[in-house]
Amino acid sequence: MQLLDTLISEVNEFTDRKRDAGGLRECRVLDVLSWPEAGARDIVLKSDTGVELGSPKDVSVSFLLWTGDMSLVNDGRISIIGPDIGEAAPSNLSFGRVVLASVNGFNEDNCYDRYREMEFLRYDVSLKGYMMRAVSQYMREWSRVSREAVENGFSFQVLGSALLNKLRAVDYVESAEIIFVTSSAEDVKELKRPADRFMTIINAMTKMSEEMDFDCESCEYQEVCSEAEELQGMRKSLMEKQSRE
Amino acid sequence: MDKRPVIIAVCGKGGVGKTSISALLTRLFSEQSSKKVIAVDADPAEGLSFPLGITVKKTVDDVRNDLIRRIERGEQAGKEDLLKRLDYELFEAVEERDNLAFLAIGRPESDGCYCQVNSLLKEIIKEIVFNFDYVIIDGEAGVEQINRRVMEMVTHLLLVSDASFKGRHVVATIEKVARKNGSFKRVGLLLNRLKDRDEARALTAAVDMPVLGWIPENDLIRVFDRDGRSFFELPDTGILSDLADAVQRWVANQP
Repeated sequence: MQLLDTLISEVNEFTDRKRDAGGLRECRVLDVLSWPEAGARDIVLKSDTGVELGSPKDVSVSFLLWTGDMSLVNDGRISIIGPDIGEAAPSNLSFGRVVLASVNGFNEDNCYDRYREMEFLRYDVSLKGYMMRAVSQYMREWSRVSREAVENGFSFQVLGSALLNKLRAVDYVESAEIIFVTSSAEDVKELKRPADRFMTIINAMTKMSEEMDFDCESCEYQEVCSEAEELQGMRKSLMEKQSRE
Repeated sequence: MDKRPVIIAVCGKGGVGKTSISALLTRLFSEQSSKKVIAVDADPAEGLSFPLGITVKKTVDDVRNDLIRRIERGEQAGKEDLLKRLDYELFEAVEERDNLAFLAIGRPESDGCYCQVNSLLKEIIKEIVFNFDYVIIDGEAGVEQINRRVMEMVTHLLLVSDASFKGRHVVATIEKVARKNGSFKRVGLLLNRLKDRDEARALTAAVDMPVLGWIPENDLIRVFDRDGRSFFELPDTGILSDLADAVQRWVANQP
């Protein structure tokens, strides 16, 4: 989806600026992650918290972008802008998380469902001492890392690896990388522009898929649809499916 | 396998002191610093926050109504999105202090409307409470809530009555309904605001259910209750330690 490629380029420009300013560190995904799972009891109370990221009181942006262009994604890279978890404790931080995935075989019939499948993988991440609550529609992610987990070495490399390994195990995902931002509320807010644009696209997809509403005259997503051939294709495909039923 | 929590529902006629008992139990369990405790105010009158010294910013009912407003405004979401949003907002509604968490339900849901939202809320509340070691639910007055699905997860039903015939009649009815549902490990009665030991003896003999203990009419509790003061500041005059012994034996399923 070319519209998303533009947003990915915007995110990459942001990380390039941070890298040039010396504010970005990189590490690689751990293919074998030995961190224990959380089990059914995943709640980390405030009193046990070492680091809280993106709480409702702080700025938080979290989203996933996909592309068919592998050159836009550096597979297995984990980029950290700001303090890592061990360096931040004890504190509450604004939090940004962007996942970039290159995929194959996406078309107007499957891209919405596949996006949701990738998006929901984060809820399958189970790490002892880590709790996450998120709302896709708000593009917010709130997480807590327990003091014990921080002391045992929990880091963005652990968290990033857990998520990237889930993504890379999906057959249509060819590569994936993740970016964490904890440097400042302003830096996290910079990611809001591509995030908001992305949300508009997803909302247009949701409207078509969930509401089966194809009246473009009154639709608030007319503008974004007119820019994205893929959305127009999705609309056409869904309308044809509806008329067959 | 993760250990299931002890989930205590405190029920009885209105005005017998359920909320005060719930607050005292919450204090007792949270004094075990290694344990996680959550108090749930299931009474629409929302009184439990006062004796716990907690300020409520958002109730479960607020979360529910906000979501319904969004749906009525035309916001669309699939079931999974709905679940995650409710999960986030419900956790935001949980107030915390040290090893104690607190959740106020607010008004109970009406049947029939937005039952999917209600059903998802119950699932999420269940998941939240299973993260704790002790759960104290301050119930509504009367028997209606026994049939509400939130009571399905209760392990221990604590009935509270004062000396009044009506109070004892209500708990007897609740006990009958509860036994029919059959899901509780233990049911026990706590007699509250009694005159003296003789009255306690007489009432214990008159009821047909296990009696945990009794609490005398207490001026200090009355003053704290009247002034909306936190029961965590209540000095222990022996009542708390007696209650602690009785309750600990009860939850450990000891006679």
